Amino acid sequence: MAIKLLLEKAHVQGIRTYEVYRREGGYTALEKALKELSPEAIVEELKKSGMRGRGGAGFPTGMKWSFIAKPEGVPRHLVCNADESEPGTFKDRYLMEFLPHLLIEGLIISSFALGSNATYIYIRGEYAWIPDILEEAIREAKAAGFLGNNILGTGFDCEIYVQRGAGAYICGEETALIESLEGKRGNPRIKPPFPAIKGVWDRPTVVNNVETLAALVPIIKMGGEEYAKIGIGRSTGTKLISACGNINKPGVYEIDMTISVEEFIYSDEYCGGIPNGKRLKACIPGGSSVPILPANLLLKTTKGETRYMNYESLSDGGFATGSMMGSGGFIVLDEDQCIVKHTYTLARFYRHESCGQCSPCREGTGWMEKILKNIETGKGKMSDIDLLWDIQRKIEGNTICPLGDAAAWPVAAAIRHFRDEFEWHITNPQEAQIRNFGLAHYADPIHIPVTEHSKSI
Amino acid sequence: MKFSEDKLAKVSEIKARYPEGKQKSALLPLLHLAQEEFGGWLSADTMDYVAELLSITPIEVYEVATFYSMYNLKPVGKYMFEVCQTGPCMVRGCDDIIDYITEKLGIKPGETTTDGLFTLKTVECLGACGYAPMMQLGKFYREHLTKQRVDEIIKECRDKAALNN
Repeated sequence: MAIKLLLEKAHVQGIRTYEVYRREGGYTALEKALKELSPEAIVEELKKSGMRGRGGAGFPTGMKWSFIAKPEGVPRHLVCNADESEPGTFKDRYLMEFLPHLLIEGLIISSFALGSNATYIYIRGEYAWIPDILEEAIREAKAAGFLGNNILGTGFDCEIYVQRGAGAYICGEETALIESLEGKRGNPRIKPPFPAIKGVWDRPTVVNNVETLAALVPIIKMGGEEYAKIGIGRSTGTKLISACGNINKPGVYEIDMTISVEEFIYSDEYCGGIPNGKRLKACIPGGSSVPILPANLLLKTTKGETRYMNYESLSDGGFATGSMMGSGGFIVLDEDQCIVKHTYTLARFYRHESCGQCSPCREGTGWMEKILKNIETGKGKMSDIDLLWDIQRKIEGNTICPLGDAAAWPVAAAIRHFRDEFEWHITNPQEAQIRNFGLAHYADPIHIPVTEHSKSI
Repeated sequence: MKFSEDKLAKVSEIKARYPEGKQKSALLPLLHLAQEEFGGWLSADTMDYVAELLSITPIEVYEVATFYSMYNLKPVGKYMFEVCQTGPCMVRGCDDIIDYITEKLGIKPGETTTDGLFTLKTVECLGACGYAPMMQLGKFYREHLTKQRVDEIIKECRDKAALNN
């Protein structure tokens, strides 16, 4: 049975309410943090935990916190990034919907450590019913004396506010989020200055993902050192994975990062294998931005070693033969899926979400969408493949924010690993309208299992 | 055009969330509120009213309203079916769902039925990939869509509309 630090109580009846959450041991981490630890000591525990940002970039959170400027007389702010919009990712939604108090507790601990008296949760606008759940949890926490003035007699004051976005993937990027919170278009800022120096309203600001901030609760409860013992290498603690696509059991899973990708896909504890006895073709393991991997490279590295569900193993081989942990949005594609069409939908997504500030991204994403659509609909030319490659190269690294890279990588990886499928689309335009390319050689030479479970469904 | 007393109290509450002099931060929440209150979309008059409430220039409102996909800049049907069409939903058959809605309601994505009841819109990833195919309908998500579920939802909307008339 896997270790569960975040979702352990997710299925307890009524856990959404303060009463049940408290009865189940809720807010004891907060009491420990505020009564026994100093803000500096909390940052130390976080550093020891080895916690890496769960939003996608994987930057060490303790280090990020230690960068925050503390000029005399200038308020600081913590902002919780709940703008979850990366295709394949729906873990934060699950946390907020079912365990709102876990997030609120983590937020109060973090606010105390960072000295934020006004903390904001910026949530994507489409999650329109979740602010009510969070605001109810905030009301309850306040009634219990965990928010408001002079919390637990420490002299620390804190309020948490929920701000809804309005439909813009780019606002998940921290400086775009800050702009949006200020009531502006979500155009990312040029860094430096970093938010830790000049963030929202030009005040020192820390922006962290929902899952990251919720993890403060187990980190404080067990201590950073103990937390770091879970997992492997620099992948400490647990990670939420949202699994979707062609699997028997889509959903949100908490894993300790020592299980193999094969186990994650095929065991009944997690995805439960692929439906209808189909075989695995490819997978995007960390949200739509990270490179897609064909089955053979997904389950084993080029060295023939088992690939595991952690930061290091998933990126083994670099972009040539590896991918990334990213946000933990795990998208599985079976043998019937068309890589060209799937890549086209992602290119369309990034074109739609580009803020338009930098020309390589604004123009490039549109071009990639158009070319991919042509190939998908049987109007492609062989030179289009190289043109696509060329465009993505010219976007990557040439934009203010990482959306450009995020748009370029899926296209690059699709061509890198599935070039023959693109060529087949172009040389067989009519056939490509009727049937898919199938598995080809991607699944070979290693054995791709078909579980008994998946056969029976 | 004016918010009710109730809503004006809500406006004050929202403005109080931000530091002194930073009331522009209330723009996104106020636009949501205005869209709900004034017919499901943002007319120029509505946007001007929001500008006035925040003591900012109308252009500051227009540039924000045109940036975010959830603000409707022209009238939409009473019930808007926002069907996700990004990769994970595509894998689970959203194209068939979109085609089916088009067939049932006689509208293509971006169009509204002549009775003003339904708008069909395709949207990009809404974060429900594990429960695909899906659509947003008002405040909530409708997930695990099938043709039968779509029929039920259409009926539910029609019944609700008939009840209100």
